[in-house]
Amino acid sequence: MSQQQSSLSGNSGPRGTSAFKRLFTEYSYFVSFVLIVVIALIVNPNFFRWRNVSNIFIQSASTTGFIALGMTMIICAGQIDISVGAQVAIISGFGIEVLNATQNIWVMLLFCLILGAVIGSFNGLLVAKGHMPAMIATLAVQTSSRAIINHFGQGGPFSVAGGIASKPFYETFRQVASGSIRIFGYALPYPMLMFIAAALLFGLIMQRTRLGKHIYAVGSNEVSARMAGVNVDRIKIAVFAITGILCGFTSWIYSSRLMAVASANAGNLFEMDAIAAVAIGGTAMSGGRGKIIGTFLGVLMFKIINNTLVAAKVPTFLTGAISGGIIIIAVLLQSLRSQGK
Amino acid sequence: MRVEMLGIVVDFGPVRAVDHVDLIVETGEIRGLIGENGAGKSTLMNVLAGSFGAKDGEIILDGRKVHFTGVKSAMASGIRLIHQELNLCNDLRVFENMYLAQELIDKMGLLDKKSMIERAAHVFERMGVNIDPTAHVSDLQAAQKQLVEIARALLFKCDIIIMDEPTTALSNYEISNLFKIMRQLKDQDVTFIYISHKMPEIFEICDTYTVLRDGKWISTGSISDVTEQEITEMMTGKTNLADDFSRRISAKTEVIAMQAEMLSSKGFEDISFDLHKGEILAITGLQGSGRDDLADALFGVIPHSGILKVNGKIIKGGIRGFLRHHIAMVPRNRKERGILNDLNIYDNMSMGYFNTRMKDILIKPNKEKSRYIKQKLALDIRADNAKNLITSLSGGNQQKVILGRWLEADADILLFDNPTQGIDVGTKFEIYHLLLRLAAQGKTILVFSSEFPEIMKVADRCMVLYKGKMNAMLERKDITEERMMLYSTGANFNADLHTKELQNVPTAK
Repeated sequence: MSQQQSSLSGNSGPRGTSAFKRLFTEYSYFVSFVLIVVIALIVNPNFFRWRNVSNIFIQSASTTGFIALGMTMIICAGQIDISVGAQVAIISGFGIEVLNATQNIWVMLLFCLILGAVIGSFNGLLVAKGHMPAMIATLAVQTSSRAIINHFGQGGPFSVAGGIASKPFYETFRQVASGSIRIFGYALPYPMLMFIAAALLFGLIMQRTRLGKHIYAVGSNEVSARMAGVNVDRIKIAVFAITGILCGFTSWIYSSRLMAVASANAGNLFEMDAIAAVAIGGTAMSGGRGKIIGTFLGVLMFKIINNTLVAAKVPTFLTGAISGGIIIIAVLLQSLRSQGK
Repeated sequence: MRVEMLGIVVDFGPVRAVDHVDLIVETGEIRGLIGENGAGKSTLMNVLAGSFGAKDGEIILDGRKVHFTGVKSAMASGIRLIHQELNLCNDLRVFENMYLAQELIDKMGLLDKKSMIERAAHVFERMGVNIDPTAHVSDLQAAQKQLVEIARALLFKCDIIIMDEPTTALSNYEISNLFKIMRQLKDQDVTFIYISHKMPEIFEICDTYTVLRDGKWISTGSISDVTEQEITEMMTGKTNLADDFSRRISAKTEVIAMQAEMLSSKGFEDISFDLHKGEILAITGLQGSGRDDLADALFGVIPHSGILKVNGKIIKGGIRGFLRHHIAMVPRNRKERGILNDLNIYDNMSMGYFNTRMKDILIKPNKEKSRYIKQKLALDIRADNAKNLITSLSGGNQQKVILGRWLEADADILLFDNPTQGIDVGTKFEIYHLLLRLAAQGKTILVFSSEFPEIMKVADRCMVLYKGKMNAMLERKDITEERMMLYSTGANFNADLHTKELQNVPTAK
């Protein structure tokens, strides 16, 4: 018996906790989500109107929603990627050129995914094989991607060719972000469906596949993971490549929503929004822990906050300061709680 | 200085680490503080050194009640703690580390490097060690780092020195020098509290002892009044714990499982051996003998030259290549190299299976659970809920999870690198029995260890490394602590120390 007791004193990790306590520790993002929805409802009684709700989803999916899912993988693997915004700019710009040339939205999608995979893999190779800190590698990719697309766009927009010829693909392409399926009287926008489907898929990958477990293992302790037989380099490359592919997919929807993409500011600050959504969603910035559901809610929270600030007629330029403050509070609560044990 | 710690209580969350412990040490006394891991020794000493506060109780120094607000205030009262873990900044020089946060300042308010280097050099001289104060700590060996830790405490005048397992990396020569200095300081009325697991050291240097168990005080007395056996029984609370391993049956077969021919790598060279199926081969050697490197090379962590065959096939590649040949390793430094802190017990155990045998695309929680339960029963893992983080387990149980990881991955050759590091005595014995049982089941086992008693309990043969080379291969009947020490210190090369009794032992030459 003495042994059993002495074994208790060597550590201070969480032991069996009640369901209620778990809600506030492990699932704190869920609590913050409910809190933010309640605040949104108070400020804007029309919050739950379908149009508003579906709009929040469209905004999420066409900007940082998919990217944040990939960013969750990257951060869980103990890495960071600040090139995603510039990736969206360069992929969207060239993607629109491809669309105009081929007049086929599927060819454009394929192009976007491949270009994303190439840029993402390049990031991953720099980090895994070149042993560069992820922050520096992706910073370099960020600045060079942005510079390249600025050079080709001369700072101006890439526009989907429309106009007098009224090319049919113009309208087809617009439908990617604006179209919807009607079910039981509700219009379910394509981006919303795709975002929910992607979140489910990524949740499954992280929880139920070898890849997911390996990502957590690498982020938790690279050396231990290697000693357990994990191919650490391959996992690092994979998370960056997957995020690149998601940037490509986002570029497709993003271009469809805007129909014209300005090279200089397309995808601006997407990396920050994605990282913030991951952080609000309860993923440990040090790697090893995090959940897709948290990021999913984190992305929505971010858009709900913006949506509410607009409804509350907060001056546009100040909204950033307020959402910044909310990020600080959300993440501070989590770090205090993990210190408090 | 006379120390009185009265009614000390320390809680870590729901766990009471120290439970109303009294410790009174007289001026100029050397007190051995003894107990299993987790008994509360280090915690109690951290309270005395001001590292953390007690929930209850008081500290009285020379009759004056004190209250420490931190390490600095304890230092001001003349208390120094030499930590078990090496707390040195690798990128700084030796003297900079020794004076960290207590730098000497000259008249201009700048660092007085000259005096610091001189004083540091003087301390090393007294200790009889050859360390350059201006060397970078990153260039030092583990033993030298430990000596720097000790030297740091001797730099400034202090009245109480607490040593928390100070000799784990030291050679006998360095230990005897340390003891010489301790006796000198004792004559100058310095009080020592000495934590160690090594009984011979306790019996050599300490005047008195205090045994703690499960955070509680068990007994205090004079060292001359007790035997090792009695102390072990007090520590574990069990009698006759030391099972008789001497009559164990070797499971060694004639089949050769692993064959090494002239293996060399960073840290060792020209190592050759045959490992039989069912055999337990121990490999020992001091820090820097190449033992760690050999362990790493045999699991593909570092590359090797020479030929390594398993079941007649030559093995190449990294860790994953070795895993394919059913070789697996329970690594040393469990916290840094073994467990995955942020993952739960299930995932920590399944990681080996995921990387070797898993064919499905999706992980099936039911199968994961049944695999876990199988190993939990086989290895007697004590855990309430496998969904808790691995860090919720004690060191011994964590080690069993790592072992289970490889059993689930169908490993046939198991490498155990320092397997009982940081594990309490009771669980250590369980691990020894496990090793013997695995060998009996036909597993082939390599144990890398510096603990001689451990080797004597489990090994069929023992290879002793010295300076990267095999110095001896001892058969089971020849494995004694004296011989292992002789060959691991290279003393057999020194004719003066070559005693007659040991002359008959065959060496690898």
